[in-house]
Parts: sequence; C-alpha cells; structure tokens
Amino acid sequence: MNVTTNSNIKCSLALAELQNVMDPEIGLNVVDLGLIYRIYFDEAEHTISVRMTLTTQFCPMGESMTDAATQALQQVFPDDKVQLTLTFDPAWNSEMISEEGKKYLNK
Amino acid sequence: MIVANNNSLLTKNTSYKVVLPFYGYAALSFLAATLLLFTSSSAFTQHYFHPQTLAITHLMALGWGTMIILGASHQLVPVLIEGKLFSNVLAHVSFSLAAIGIPLLVYSFYVFNIGELAQCGAILINAAIVSYLINLAISIAKSKNENVHAVFVFTAALWLLLTTLVGLLLTYNFTLTILPKDSLYYLSLHAHMGIIGWFLLLVMGVGSRLIPLFLISKYNNRKLLWWIYSLINGGLLSFIFIFLYSNQTFYFFFPVIAITTALILFGHYCLQAYRQRIRKQVDDQMKISLLSVLMIAVPVIALIGIVALLVVSGQNIKLVLLYGFSVFFGWITAIIFGMTFKTLPFIVWNKVYHHKSGLGKTPNPKDLFSNKLFIGMGIAYLTGFILFAAGILISNTLILKSGTIFLLFTAALYNLNVFKILLHKPQTA
Repeated sequence: MNVTTNSNIKCSLALAELQNVMDPEIGLNVVDLGLIYRIYFDEAEHTISVRMTLTTQFCPMGESMTDAATQALQQVFPDDKVQLTLTFDPAWNSEMISEEGKKYLNK
Repeated sequence: MIVANNNSLLTKNTSYKVVLPFYGYAALSFLAATLLLFTSSSAFTQHYFHPQTLAITHLMALGWGTMIILGASHQLVPVLIEGKLFSNVLAHVSFSLAAIGIPLLVYSFYVFNIGELAQCGAILINAAIVSYLINLAISIAKSKNENVHAVFVFTAALWLLLTTLVGLLLTYNFTLTILPKDSLYYLSLHAHMGIIGWFLLLVMGVGSRLIPLFLISKYNNRKLLWWIYSLINGGLLSFIFIFLYSNQTFYFFFPVIAITTALILFGHYCLQAYRQRIRKQVDDQMKISLLSVLMIAVPVIALIGIVALLVVSGQNIKLVLLYGFSVFFGWITAIIFGMTFKTLPFIVWNKVYHHKSGLGKTPNPKDLFSNKLFIGMGIAYLTGFILFAAGILISNTLILKSGTIFLLFTAALYNLNVFKILLHKPQTA
C-alpha cells in the first residue's frame, strides 16, 4: 500500500487502527483495500488530515465507512482534530489492493 | 475534540424510506402470485389467454419484477450515473400509484372483467411509470457523467412506458374497438416490449455494472456493451415492424437471432468478468445471480421452438406457456433472489447502524438474513421450477401442482428472510 505521510510512526498507529474499519460488502479493511491515500499530522494545529477514497463514488456504504474511519482515528489520537477528505482522483482500482488483501480475496 | 469531515464528494444515498416499500410490496406480490399459481395450476394446461394465467403473469411482471426493479433502481441509479436521485417525492408517487394500480388490474384479469376497474388500474400504472421516467431523466441529465449503463436503464424505462401504454390501449380495446384487431392479437407485442425492452435491457444494464463490481473484476468492455445494446433494441424494433407490417412468420427469425446474439455476448461479458475477478470466493447470492444468466437459455430455446413451429405448423400453446413461465418464474425470479440479498441488507444496515459506525461492534449486513433459509429457498425454487416446467410440457396437473407447492414454499422462505431484514432491530456489542 502507498500511503503518503509526514510521520511514519504516527501513520503506523493510525493504519493499525484503520485496519479495524471494514468494507462490509467485500469483508476487507480500508487499509488493505487501498482506500487510504494520505495521512498528514499537523503538530502545531493538532490536526490529522486524511485523504481517502471509496471503491465507487456512490458506494451505498460510503458515509458509514468515512464516519467509522474518522471515529477510529479519533480513538487513537483523542487530542487531535481529524479532518477526513474524500477524493476520487485517482479513482480506486483493484491494483490498489495490498498483497495481504489480494491473498485474503484469493482464499 | 471536534471531528470534522469535509466530504463534499459524498452524496447521501437515496433514502431507505423510498426504497424499502418497493421491496416489501414485491415480496408480498411474489407470495400472492405463487398462491394463485397453487390454486390455479390447471390453467397451465389450457390456452395462455386464460383469466388466471393473465392475472398471475401481470402480478409477476408488475407486482414482483417491476416493483422490485423500480425500488432497487432508485438505490442503484445514483451508483450507475455517479449522481444523486433527483426526487424522493416522485419516487414515493411512483410507488403509491403502482401499488394501487397493480391489484386493480390483476383482480380484473382474475375475474375476467376488463372494464373500468382494469382501465383505472392501467392508468395508475402508467402514471407511476411516467413519474419514474421523469425522475430518471432529470437525475441522468443532472449527472456530469455519461455512461453506457445509464443509457441501458433509461432506454429500458422508455420501453416500460411503451409496454404499459400498449397495455392501457389493450384494456380499452376489450370494451371499445379502438384497434384494428382484438386484444389477444397484440398480446405478443405487449409482452415482448416488456420482456425484452424493459426486463432484459435493464437487467443487462445494471448487471454489467454490478457483476464486475461485486466480483471485484478488472474486466470492462464498453464496446461489447454498446453492441449488446444495439442488438437488443434493433431486434425488438425489427420484431415490432415485422409484427405490424408483415405476414411472413419466417421473418421473426431475424429478431430472434439478434436477441440471441446479444444474450450470447452478455453471457461472454459475465464469463470474462467472472474469470478476471480478484475476489475468488463467490457467495450464494452471486451464484444464483450468475445462474439466472444461464437460465435465460430456457426461454430462448422455447422462443426458437415457437418461431420454428409457427413457420411449419402453427402456434404451440405449451411452448408459449413454457416461454412465459421460464421468463417470469425462471430468469427474472432467479436474478431478483440474488440481487435482493446483495442490496436489501446494505440498505437496512445503513438505516439501522449508520450512526453507530466506528462506535462499537455492529453485525455485518450479511448477518441481517439467514443464509440457511436462502439456501433452502434456492433448493425449493429449482425443484419447483423444474417440476412446473415439466408439468407444462407434458400437461400433467399432478406435476404442475407439486411444482406449485415447492414454489409456494420458496416464496414463503423468501418473505421470511426479506421481512427478517426489514424488521431488523439494532444489536451492538
């Protein structure tokens, strides 16, 4: 997976928590699905900026998944403000799924 | 701490209040249709222009097939066009008009009194379709994205309106002579506009988007889809032209060839999507949806047989009955079974658990229904379908009746599972 970040340590913590946020239809978490594009930490402003996507723009579960991702990050970083932005540029495709994700789907 | 989301790209789904009534109505219509089939199975040993056969066919086509497709399409059209549904109010209007109109029409057929009640029902159904078409047209026009799937759905809705308009004319033609020939003569025109123009085109348009999406398949072939679109519409238009302006039955082979080619190409599209899937495990709901694609072969073979016999000797009533039965109780019912449990649990899950996401463990959408009931339903369905189809072919009332028992059981299991989902109460750990 290729998540852009400015803090590898904090990003690992964030991704570990985001691995609990599942796409209920596919049964795979948002990290291994490759839906998380960027996580930036602003120490001065106590802000976490997350850029993520969905498998399809009008995914019926989209709002639930973005809300769950925001809540998950809020639990790990309770003193920070989480700003989650959706993007469809680039649009998600199956090549973005991690190797672990592909193995799970190949079972 | 403040949680901020800047999700301007996230448009809200169509409200569950719009979609769920369609699903509930369709499930009850299916149960009512199988109950009628059980009490009227002997009608299937007679001519297809029989009051009870007409009542069951219209209950299946409108109450079951059309109502569930209308409901699902209000939810799925935003996914297809990547834009918002224009109006929830129009969707409610569409449901209410159809929900009143369908029983009026079906009852009129059942008692074979095609008078004011039937005409009133047909007018209400037409008004419902007009509301749906307006909603669809504005939603598509407002969407920035143009895609082949939306064109399939819109064209299918136009064919549906044409079908119901012809249906309205036919109900009037029973009492007032407004058409050159009697209503029975135009029955195949009315039926094929609905079966090919509405059901087949819509299922292909939606299926060609959803099958690769659910399988997480890399396969995409827009050019092939445009070919399928042209063959279906070209085939249907040529059928109408031959029906109205030619008395050479041999020419009916041309639309049959065009539509059969389109079906083979669609089968190829589904097979490629299946082969190039990343998700290897295919759930039972997808399996029955893919099976429905294979089940199209039954009405196609029956149709080729009907046209062949029409050229050689004349109409074969048994094949016509098998054709109609395998369309409504076969292909359309199988795809509805699969797609109901791929869409309804998610709609209800969103309704019940949307505000609880990330705040504790919630059940999966798949946990909202019983997969055991689903498998039981699938077995009962296939048994009932095979028995009833065989009963039609050999005109055996005992086999027909046994088939209806299995189909009635199928409908009961389907309703149990659907209402289990619809009445789901929140459960959190």
